[in-house]
Amino acid sequence: MATSTYLSSPVVTVNAVDLSDQCTGATVNINYDQLEATAFGDSSRKYVSGLGSHSVTLDFYASFAATETWATLKSLVGTSTNVIVKPTTGADSATNPGLTFTGTFLAALPIVTSLGALGTISVTFNGGVYTSDES
Amino acid sequence: MNFIIASERLGNIGDPYTPKDGINIDALLAGGFIVRAQVSTTEEEKPAKTKSKKASKE
Repeated sequence: MATSTYLSSPVVTVNAVDLSDQCTGATVNINYDQLEATAFGDSSRKYVSGLGSHSVTLDFYASFAATETWATLKSLVGTSTNVIVKPTTGADSATNPGLTFTGTFLAALPIVTSLGALGTISVTFNGGVYTSDES
Repeated sequence: MNFIIASERLGNIGDPYTPKDGINIDALLAGGFIVRAQVSTTEEEKPAKTKSKKASKE
């Protein structure tokens, strides 16, 4: 049965900083441009891979304490860095791949606050080189 | 430039930190996750030169 249940042990690192205990959600999009390669004589459309166009959206609690979420992200806005998302804390393997985005760009740092609720920061990193570390 | 880990979120505090490609060092420094390793600028004291005196001239 091909199912992964994410309960409490995924690992999220941003700029090499482990922010797993502040993270509540991660959306990883691994995309490549789809370039048409159909030519005369083909009976069906064909495509080839173009440029990678990946993104990672991470949901954090907005902790302003020392070496927490804010301290990690505040200086990354408008720059590129590395982001890794891994299913569990175990070593990298084929069943626990470290989804790594190298040189991914953070364009915005939106902070959401409301009365009586914990503040949150949802950030989206765009672009960069995607690799799956499995060893 | 050498760096020392200053936050458990990055590794063991006090261990040297070698950034991988793509890591934003300025952001780590600004956030207090690493510090620059202090390099000693003082030279070690050299032992005093002592001329060996010949015990006796014949």
